[in-house]
Amino acid sequence: MRRVRGSNLILLVLSGVNVVIMGLLTALSPTFLSYGNLSAVMLRMSELSMLAIAETIVLIAGGFDLTIGAVMALSATVFGTLHVAGLPFAAILVLALSAGIAVGTLNGFLVVALRLQPFIVTLATMSVVRSVVYGLLKGNVLSDLPEAFLDLGYVYVLKIPLLFLVVVLVAVLAIVLLRRTVIGRRIFALGGNERTAFLSGVHVDRMKYVVYALSGLISALAGLMYTARIRAVVPDMGITSPLEVVTAVLIGGTAITGGKGSVFGSLLGILAMYLLLNGFNLLGLNPFWQVIILGTILIYVVGQENIVRGVRAALARGSRRKSQKA
Amino acid sequence: MISIENVSQSFPGVQALDQVSFTIRDGEVHGLVGENGAGKSTLIKILSGIYPDYAGTIRFDGEVRRFGAVHEAQAGGVATIFQELTVIRELSVAENIFLGREPVRAGGRLDWNAMWAKSRAVLSFLDAPLDPRAPVRTLSVANQQLVEICKALVLNSRVIIMDEPTSSLTEHEVRQLFTQIRRLKERGITILYVSHKIEEIFAICDSVTVFRDGRHIATVDRQATSPDQVISMMVGRSLSMLFPPRTSRRGELLLSVRGASRAGEFQDVSFELHEGEIIGFAGLIGAGRTELARALFGATPLTSGEVGLQGRPSGAFRHPSQALANGVAYLSEDRKREGLMLELSIRENMSLAVLRRISRYLFLRPRRERELVDSYINRFKIRLTSVDQLVESLSGGNQQKVVISKLLMTEARVFIFDEPTRGVDVGAKYEIYKIMNDLTAEGRGILFISSELPEVLGVSDRILCMREGRLVREFSREEADPEGVMRVLTGGEAA
Amino acid sequence: MNAARPALKRVLGLRELPILVYLAIMIAVFSIAVGGFFSFKNFENISRQIATVGIVSVGMTLIILTGGIDLSVGAILSFAINIGGLGIVAGWPMWVAYPFMLLLGLVLGWLNGFLITRIAVPALIITLGTMNIYRGVIMVITRGRYITPIPKAYEAIGSGYVPFILLALVLALFIYISLRTRFGRNLFAIGGGEQSAVYSGVPVRRYKMIVYTISGLLSALAGMILVGKSGFIQPQAGLGYEMSAIAAVVIGGTSIFGGSGSVLGTFLGSVLMGLILAGLTMLAVNPYWQGLITGVLIILAIALDTVRQLRRK
Repeated sequence: MRRVRGSNLILLVLSGVNVVIMGLLTALSPTFLSYGNLSAVMLRMSELSMLAIAETIVLIAGGFDLTIGAVMALSATVFGTLHVAGLPFAAILVLALSAGIAVGTLNGFLVVALRLQPFIVTLATMSVVRSVVYGLLKGNVLSDLPEAFLDLGYVYVLKIPLLFLVVVLVAVLAIVLLRRTVIGRRIFALGGNERTAFLSGVHVDRMKYVVYALSGLISALAGLMYTARIRAVVPDMGITSPLEVVTAVLIGGTAITGGKGSVFGSLLGILAMYLLLNGFNLLGLNPFWQVIILGTILIYVVGQENIVRGVRAALARGSRRKSQKA
Repeated sequence: MISIENVSQSFPGVQALDQVSFTIRDGEVHGLVGENGAGKSTLIKILSGIYPDYAGTIRFDGEVRRFGAVHEAQAGGVATIFQELTVIRELSVAENIFLGREPVRAGGRLDWNAMWAKSRAVLSFLDAPLDPRAPVRTLSVANQQLVEICKALVLNSRVIIMDEPTSSLTEHEVRQLFTQIRRLKERGITILYVSHKIEEIFAICDSVTVFRDGRHIATVDRQATSPDQVISMMVGRSLSMLFPPRTSRRGELLLSVRGASRAGEFQDVSFELHEGEIIGFAGLIGAGRTELARALFGATPLTSGEVGLQGRPSGAFRHPSQALANGVAYLSEDRKREGLMLELSIRENMSLAVLRRISRYLFLRPRRERELVDSYINRFKIRLTSVDQLVESLSGGNQQKVVISKLLMTEARVFIFDEPTRGVDVGAKYEIYKIMNDLTAEGRGILFISSELPEVLGVSDRILCMREGRLVREFSREEADPEGVMRVLTGGEAA
Repeated sequence: MNAARPALKRVLGLRELPILVYLAIMIAVFSIAVGGFFSFKNFENISRQIATVGIVSVGMTLIILTGGIDLSVGAILSFAINIGGLGIVAGWPMWVAYPFMLLLGLVLGWLNGFLITRIAVPALIITLGTMNIYRGVIMVITRGRYITPIPKAYEAIGSGYVPFILLALVLALFIYISLRTRFGRNLFAIGGGEQSAVYSGVPVRRYKMIVYTISGLLSALAGMILVGKSGFIQPQAGLGYEMSAIAAVVIGGTSIFGGSGSVLGTFLGSVLMGLILAGLTMLAVNPYWQGLITGVLIILAIALDTVRQLRRK
């Protein structure tokens, strides 16, 4: 009962918040609800939404992935540099995605074999991947990309941007995976209680590999989408993504301790954050405030659960004391 | 003199201590015995200052004291040497002895010379040839324990509490420890010696207190009693324990274990389980039963030995999924940490071990899952508001029912139940015994681990006694009696 | 004083020996492969780099010893020198600007410590958040622009032997504290067995706060050395310092789990890091690969540490 209503409550609240923000923005700036602006919003949210899907899966499994932005940059970089080197489109596509899977598998290996906190592992691999990106691009921006690819950002299906539909597709697949398949159930179990999952027959180590590899794959796909949208490969791609995405996912109701979460909630979280930032831009606020606010929200959101737990524990202790002294 | 007056302590779901009162005389070695869960460690924690919120009064030499933290207890002259040693491995012997109160010179500078000199003094008092500068991690467990005793001495403790001090010591080291205890006694220090090893109690203690089910049963001088008497006070029960009637019909061989060993945990365990049989595993903490169960289940690897299933030698299982696939299921003793996923729903918890059965190819079949889950909820009358309720909101008894349902759903041939009635009330216990009977009536076999002797005796067809990792004796249901078994478990009698 | 010799023996005994060997090899290799490696000019560059990372790493060592971590050291460094830099440009005299920077570092470090000890959120996440917050505030206040011009006088601290002397002083002070004071030894206890430390009456919460405050102060000091280098102060200052500091600490033999390690080891670790980075630059290796190497080194060092820990158990 609690989880169903609780998580639905979060989704409801988030949706409400989004509606309110949208209302405010429309009032302040009439062009907000225009088709042009809305489709621009959908487009710009595409990559972050993909990353949010990836991170949601990892968090539900009880892990943590800081490499999402770096892998995004890596896949774009691999794609771009191999194209310049003359390889065929299909090949560079596959290789770009494989790069993401490779990093994910590496993450999985380090987490499983070294038994280290995923945070530290992905922190280290993130900096390694970033350096590879810089090394390959030598600080330059690549704009020599396949023609057909560059137009993808302009393709619309039924008036909706193609790239956004890709997000929707991946989201649906992720939701089906998590809620309707055996693998998805095992992912929730892994995050819920690793010991219990193990004793119930779940191959805990195997699942960790799967989860991190998936995250790498989705992040790699996000990189390709980003490149198609901005029609270039930029070395700094996604450098702020981990903070933004993790904050949005946590707002969306996924627990940092694992076992609970929802892709839909994460997407709502991305939307909420994006609208907020969009709003700041429209209002002419300094964009650097973003980072300050995100940092504060992150600490608050994560800390909140613990604060609540601490308060509950203190109350329980207090009532026990009373009943014993009686 | 320590006077404990009407002390009680309760936790959610369990009354750990109930109006306990007794006196510890100055300068004596006072033994405290009781089964697992009798309340010994709770009392230790109260005296050490870890649980300050108890009901009742504790007087030291007539003065009422209540310690709110461990260092308060230490300042008050009470030092505890816990079973889990609290030495800091990277620091030296001297630094551990003086942790938190290192001697300093002007300006906060550590007075190493003073620290080493004082350490040497107290080490020589205990006749311990340790180098104060040696890092503690290089010492044996026995010597680490010595360091803790030195720490207690340096604190000018008047009372030293020792919690199962010999659980990791060799016989030789145990004798050395007793020598140290006698030296401490000569200094006028009072010692509370908590152990379940009766022969040790009678070797070193002046008087003995017996706890049972959180209550004080008796405090007697060692001279005035005997091991047999103490044992029967430990296990004696009113005849309110009821067990469902049981007819055991032994069928085919189900599970055969030969020479199972795992370094440091258990050694050379061999037995056979037949269809329709309940084998009870009796033993005290550290006997190795849970470790054996886990290894049989594939959660940890066996160092050596064979495990044969249904007449087919299959070697040991290498992963719980293998065990489950072959019809072996394990119920852990720690249901909160190993049996449940507290923040997931009842439905998700129950179906976790049988995902293959409620799915087709890769996809879950929600309707099949719901049917299965509902059937078990009805069967065990689990009280809930909705199948999607979070498991953490259920009562302890209902949580246990969820875990058991999860196990039973696997329809295993061999069930390993590890302390299935821990933290469960009398009515629910009876239901669990009935479940076990029903399972064996269907031709399944059960390995039943429990630390409550009456339970083991009342439910099992055969009782296997484990002590310090070895299988020491087997009793049939007819020949087993509580005192006899306890004697074997505590070493009061040679195997 | 008779404590010094056995202490020195102990220190050189186990942990730091491999590092010294690496260093010797590294120095030998570089002096052969790179002409002019040991020229004075080069020495100045290298020592400044080692000094700044080294000073920050000392603070990080204390934090990691207690089982914590601080990802915001680079941000604190930048904050101190940028805000202080605004003061310099506004005409503040040096004897006001320098203490002000140190004060900023102290306050921000204290803030980290306060949050970490009061909110039950891992230090990793808190300092990730504060890192972004501090950098964000820098951006807002400086509007992303460099701060210039910085008077010549401020270069003094960053030239010649001065950085090295400062590093030496910091090292001497904290090696002393970690080996010879109750506070220092108790840090090992907090990291090695916090529960036991609490039981023994060690003021764990207070000590943790002190440790984060010290780290902030040291970050600011390192920033001051950086200021002298280029004549301007940039908001991106200190970027990546947290990774380098963690690398130096972990490579130097301090366990990332806390409870064991040494300040001296960290120093050797930062020398190693500094030499490698400087050497690679001279070999004309792409500077962007530095991050790669840092990352790989961290992973390797932690892996080794994990193996060591497992073997102990």
